[in-house]
Amino acid sequence: MDFLKKYMYPLLTGIGILAALLVFSLNVPRNREANILERTVFTILSPLLQPVSRVSGFIEDAWDGYIQLVDTHRENMRLREEIRELNRRVQDGSEAFLANQRLEKLLDMKKSVKAPTVAATVIGEDATSWFRTLIINRGSSSGILEGMAVISADGVVGQTVKVSPASARVVLLTDHASGIAATIQRSRARGVVKGKGEMLCSLEFTTREEDVKVGDMVITSGIGGVFLKGLPIGEVTMVKRGEYGIFQTVSIRPAVNLPHLEEVLVVQKGGYE
Amino acid sequence: MSKRAALLLVSLVVTAMVIQVSLLPVFVRPAFKPDLLLVIMVFIALRSSFEAGAPLAWIFGMLDDVCSGLYLGLNATAFLISFFVIKSVSDRLYADSAILFILTVIGVTMASFTLNLLLMVLFTASPGIAYSMFSDIFSRILVNAFVASLITVFPGFDSNVEPA
Repeated sequence: MDFLKKYMYPLLTGIGILAALLVFSLNVPRNREANILERTVFTILSPLLQPVSRVSGFIEDAWDGYIQLVDTHRENMRLREEIRELNRRVQDGSEAFLANQRLEKLLDMKKSVKAPTVAATVIGEDATSWFRTLIINRGSSSGILEGMAVISADGVVGQTVKVSPASARVVLLTDHASGIAATIQRSRARGVVKGKGEMLCSLEFTTREEDVKVGDMVITSGIGGVFLKGLPIGEVTMVKRGEYGIFQTVSIRPAVNLPHLEEVLVVQKGGYE
Repeated sequence: MSKRAALLLVSLVVTAMVIQVSLLPVFVRPAFKPDLLLVIMVFIALRSSFEAGAPLAWIFGMLDDVCSGLYLGLNATAFLISFFVIKSVSDRLYADSAILFILTVIGVTMASFTLNLLLMVLFTASPGIAYSMFSDIFSRILVNAFVASLITVFPGFDSNVEPA
């Protein structure tokens, strides 16, 4: 008995550890099953756990939503900034893609033109609505002279006027002062394309006998030396032959989308100082 | 005119030109583009002295011509004539009135249209331009009047540019 008394505590400790190890070792193979002890404990605790869980959830929500609001707000701002930056990159990407497509078309046109050209960007338009002119970012320092042809990927744009060292004005083919020698591509009927303001032109001096139909393509005839032969000008939208008169009335819609023009080519041929 | 007023005027004119040539064409249809220099000219005509105003009206017209069309001096002439007409009657009118300013802008827009048309028909070969001009004169008057009405709400509108 003295022995037990003397070594009780170390003995109990050993037994306890051993029992614990035994329980542990017995439960290792059944680690996915709830034993009776576990089931009992859960059965007793579950009615209590549910409301406590709700309260703790409420507290957690309150903490995250209100007390930690400064961090949330900061994070929100950071994320918004990130979204803005990503949106900007996406927009830049789309813009670069579209610019690339436009410039590719312009390059194709440049290759087809048998004369040196200078690429220019449209930087302004006419201050009033009575005239149809554009301002481009190239001028005499880039070798541009007055009277040179201006084209885009889709066809004829107009002619340079009022050239300054760093910019030039372009009279569009739709301006009342514009006149371009032209030919109907199908029938080779000739005439002069004159601007009518708005976004339309007319083919003038084409006699009544000439074969012109709606949908015909109008191209430059090359006469006059400003525009090279064969550049698209537009499409015939209306033909009217009156009972009297020598000429017929022909309306043309320009091939180039003039209000949305961004890049052009100036053909460095001809011109005057 | 004081140095400050001159600087303000130059910045105003430059801003108006940039807006007119680069900004407005992107957002506004051609028929609804206001003539900002014309509106500024009317303001000058009503408020400034004859000696300072006349060259300014001509210069504004020249600047308008630089940014528009092919005929340098067209608007300059129209502006100068309009200025003289305004100046001849402005001394007898209450020039600080907002309504008068708007009405004068409407009148000068019509006068400028008539003078431009007349000068072009007489001196240039622009067949058919009359049709384009007539087609948007109404919208032009309305837009210029609208811009003039916006100017009248600016805080400095009631103050004199220069004693006449």
